Amino acid sequence: MHLSRREFLKSAVAASTASTMGMSLSELAEAAASELEKGWKWDKAVCRFCGTGCGIMCATKDGRIVATKGDPKAPVNKGLNCIKGYFNGKILYGQDRLTQPLMRMTDGKFDKKGKFVPVTWEQAFDEMEKQFRKTYAEKGPSGVACFGSGQWTIHEGYAMNKLFKAGFRSNNIDPNARNCMASAVAAFYSVFGADEPAGNYDDIEYTDTMILWGANMAEMHPILWSRISDRRLSNKNVRIVNLSTYRNMSSDLADLEILFKPNTDLAIQNYIAREIIARDAVNKDFVEKHCVFATGPYDIGYGMRNTDKFAYPAEKDTQAKELKVKLDKYEAVAQRKAEGEVVDQKNTADPAKHWMISFDDFKKAVEPYTLDFVAELAKGDEDESLASFKGKLQQLADFYIEKDRKVVSFWTMGFNQHQRGTWVNEQCYMNHLLLGKQSQPGNGAFSLTGQPSACGTAREVGTFCHRLPADTLIPNPKHRANAEGKWKLPAKTINPKIGSFYAKILRDLEDGQVKWAWVQVNNPWHTHPNANHWLKAARENDNFIIVSEAYPGVSAKIADLILPTAMIFEKWGAFGNAERRTQQWRQQVPPPGQARADVWQTIEFSKRFKVKDFWGEQKLPGLKADGYEDNKLPSVMDEAVKMGYSPEDSLYKVLFATPDNLKVKWPDAVAKGHDNHVAALLGDGWFPEKALWQEYVQFGRGKGKDLADFDIYHGDNIRGMKWPVVDGKEVAWRFNEQYDPYVKKGAGFEFYGDLFKAIPTGNLDGITDPKPVPLAGKAKIFYRPYAAPAEQPDTNYDLWLCTGRVLEHWHSGTMTRRVPELHRAVPAAVMWIHPADAKSRGLQRNDLVWIESRRGKVKVRVETGGRNKMVKGYVYVPFFDEGVLINRVTLDTTCPISKESDYKKCAVKVYKA
Amino acid sequence: MNYSGILVMARPQNFPNVSTALSAIDGVEVFQQEPETGRIVVVLEAENIKTETDMLQAIKALPGVAAAEMVYHYFEDDQEVITHIPEELDKLQGMGAVPAVLQEN
Repeated sequence: MHLSRREFLKSAVAASTASTMGMSLSELAEAAASELEKGWKWDKAVCRFCGTGCGIMCATKDGRIVATKGDPKAPVNKGLNCIKGYFNGKILYGQDRLTQPLMRMTDGKFDKKGKFVPVTWEQAFDEMEKQFRKTYAEKGPSGVACFGSGQWTIHEGYAMNKLFKAGFRSNNIDPNARNCMASAVAAFYSVFGADEPAGNYDDIEYTDTMILWGANMAEMHPILWSRISDRRLSNKNVRIVNLSTYRNMSSDLADLEILFKPNTDLAIQNYIAREIIARDAVNKDFVEKHCVFATGPYDIGYGMRNTDKFAYPAEKDTQAKELKVKLDKYEAVAQRKAEGEVVDQKNTADPAKHWMISFDDFKKAVEPYTLDFVAELAKGDEDESLASFKGKLQQLADFYIEKDRKVVSFWTMGFNQHQRGTWVNEQCYMNHLLLGKQSQPGNGAFSLTGQPSACGTAREVGTFCHRLPADTLIPNPKHRANAEGKWKLPAKTINPKIGSFYAKILRDLEDGQVKWAWVQVNNPWHTHPNANHWLKAARENDNFIIVSEAYPGVSAKIADLILPTAMIFEKWGAFGNAERRTQQWRQQVPPPGQARADVWQTIEFSKRFKVKDFWGEQKLPGLKADGYEDNKLPSVMDEAVKMGYSPEDSLYKVLFATPDNLKVKWPDAVAKGHDNHVAALLGDGWFPEKALWQEYVQFGRGKGKDLADFDIYHGDNIRGMKWPVVDGKEVAWRFNEQYDPYVKKGAGFEFYGDLFKAIPTGNLDGITDPKPVPLAGKAKIFYRPYAAPAEQPDTNYDLWLCTGRVLEHWHSGTMTRRVPELHRAVPAAVMWIHPADAKSRGLQRNDLVWIESRRGKVKVRVETGGRNKMVKGYVYVPFFDEGVLINRVTLDTTCPISKESDYKKCAVKVYKA
Repeated sequence: MNYSGILVMARPQNFPNVSTALSAIDGVEVFQQEPETGRIVVVLEAENIKTETDMLQAIKALPGVAAAEMVYHYFEDDQEVITHIPEELDKLQGMGAVPAVLQEN
């Protein structure tokens, strides 16, 4: 049979597609597929974009990437690729790629008001060093800061974390992951005593019910959605529930759609708990053996500044809620108080404290959350009848409670970016634990992530202002001593005071506490809410901001110095995804021009400093800790000399090119002919990524966080491994004896995380016995009440505003907007609004309007159709477009416990521009 | 010309309609159908990637389509898009211009 070239190509493509999906093929088709790819060099890699962690195959030819495809061997995506993944190879080639350092200069000298001028790396580091030394001398360790990233590779995050905490003795390092999953982390800590999900993506194929809470997975996690679709379509008993504040793409496949008002997810969860108890469906055996009940204070504020000194006049009424909250009628019922009572927010400084309560107290607490009460409070669509909404809530409770029905709850930003984000995460575990539907195949509450290495880098490496690697914490003296031991530092080198979290670093820049900040792999001035404050502070205050970037986004524009960064396949790297899967890849192509990997930038900068610059006594305003003089870090120089260090040793030698690390040689057979521009530039013959990896893994081994050796991940047949990796084997479901070797034999389940596992006893009103009771091996079932949003629509600002991503763009769009095809698919952000709301304002589709809040306004076009269908009173604007900088409008409240910003609810008005 | 392999998923009862609707899109050819697993393999043929992405969006928007994602994309011949670093970028490799966008206020 003769095939034309065109027919040949088409059948080859069809055959490759079908074979990737495990569908049967004819011999002819198979031959066509192999003929097509002759001469290409394929290597495994990982997608650059979301937290799903899809494997992709990357084809190079003559030093260029010529093709990418879904990796059929990757268990995550089984050969599929979403539209973003498909462009992995192309983000390297955008037209305005930054390829040389740029500094603001006038007459050949740095000038904050100057224009950007190309400089050499030497000049760039000279000015960075000079500015660093000036600020450090004036402010000490708390005057410098780093905005890190859940898109950092594990090596990059580890190197910067070490430079800041061990070198600069500063804990002012916090990743953008703070705004993505800090609420998830806080709840993992409080409920289980250990971070990250128990289950894995195979839960999709094991479960009967998937409940989406504020996760538009069809758009945001399309590959997982394709697995969910597959499961739903191939099994008629499977049910999908989509809970959201507006109708989105995930509703198309859902069997049940529940549209609720902002924050009322807190009430819906308690309704389910109440039903579980009322229907006598508590899994008593599981709860008695493995759980205790707990609660905490309600008066914890909203994570805003506690002063109105920096607030615009229009913002002051919202900011005042940080100090006092007048309870509305629903909060009054939910919190067993009187309507109109003004509650001083007394626990803003320690919102995470909690204590044990009895089951009877718990039962009493959820009693007010009746169907009538919750339905009236939560119904989000005014066009839906109360009876219909009640029916849906009952159906939801039925799904959870039905005996032998397996249930997985998924969530992302709807829960996490929430003024009570930690509470609502805890509530999800509450219901799964009450039912005993947790940590089993197809049963469990599953927190998804948005960024490719929010888990691997931000969380596991501990690049937060309060964390150290492998679930250890800055305020814990034993944890600091452990890190000092592993890093061969003198005792008391690490600063015991928690640093500034992401929002606080921006506030510190505004009030002049921080004057030197380095940004890597994120875009704070685009993505942080209430942006007008931070934009002004960056440009007009006395400070020095360095932005490592591949493309000029908003943050690069406000920077004083821009460092050109190597992108994903231009360096060696590793990411960790939402199912604890760690994946590594090799450098595929060289970076263009002067662009260089972040890990090189960090390590190279360390060569400029000596230990004597930091290890003497340092001022630290506000430090109060056992064993420390107030307001200062002690000198550790004497101890350092005893350990064999010289004051003249460089940080490079002490932190990075250590004697052990220099033994890890480059070149290495694991490279299989691939280059490493970082090793080549640093010199000294070592393999930085491998050496840092082998140093890092020492933190988690034997602690339930075990990672494998570097070379294992680069094995031809490995597509990442789910930690803990024990005796070479992955753990599929944690805390379950059948799968997890860390669980004691005979225990069945054991929630062995050891953080916050000794707490006082009390009742719903507070602590009655402060003596900590140990709870080893148990999970906590929290009671958390409904709390109203800090800012709600009123007669002036009469609409809710929600923000988020769209499928085609990644975060602030600095990468995806460089791919012309993606840009054209969604050229500029639009505002989705209900047609009736548009009509009542005299607006039509495509009209240009102002959207305005107490904090700022932007122009945007009206969209009344399309993929999102708003309920009345509610508008949605995605945040990818720097031409529609919606974060000028959004509100910077956070969950007071997790410090994660709430992008999902504030009050706005909309009018014709 | 670009060719890409797309996996389309639909409920089995929607197969006939989805299949007809897919074939009606110019440049789409249905190659394989597995009603029992809800899977259809189609190949897109398009002048450029822009058209291809638009076509994928069109497929996703078809009534009865539960999901549609790319699996395989052949672009070896697509010199303009993938194997070429734009001239502007090459110029920047030395000490060249600063992107105009950075000099805006």
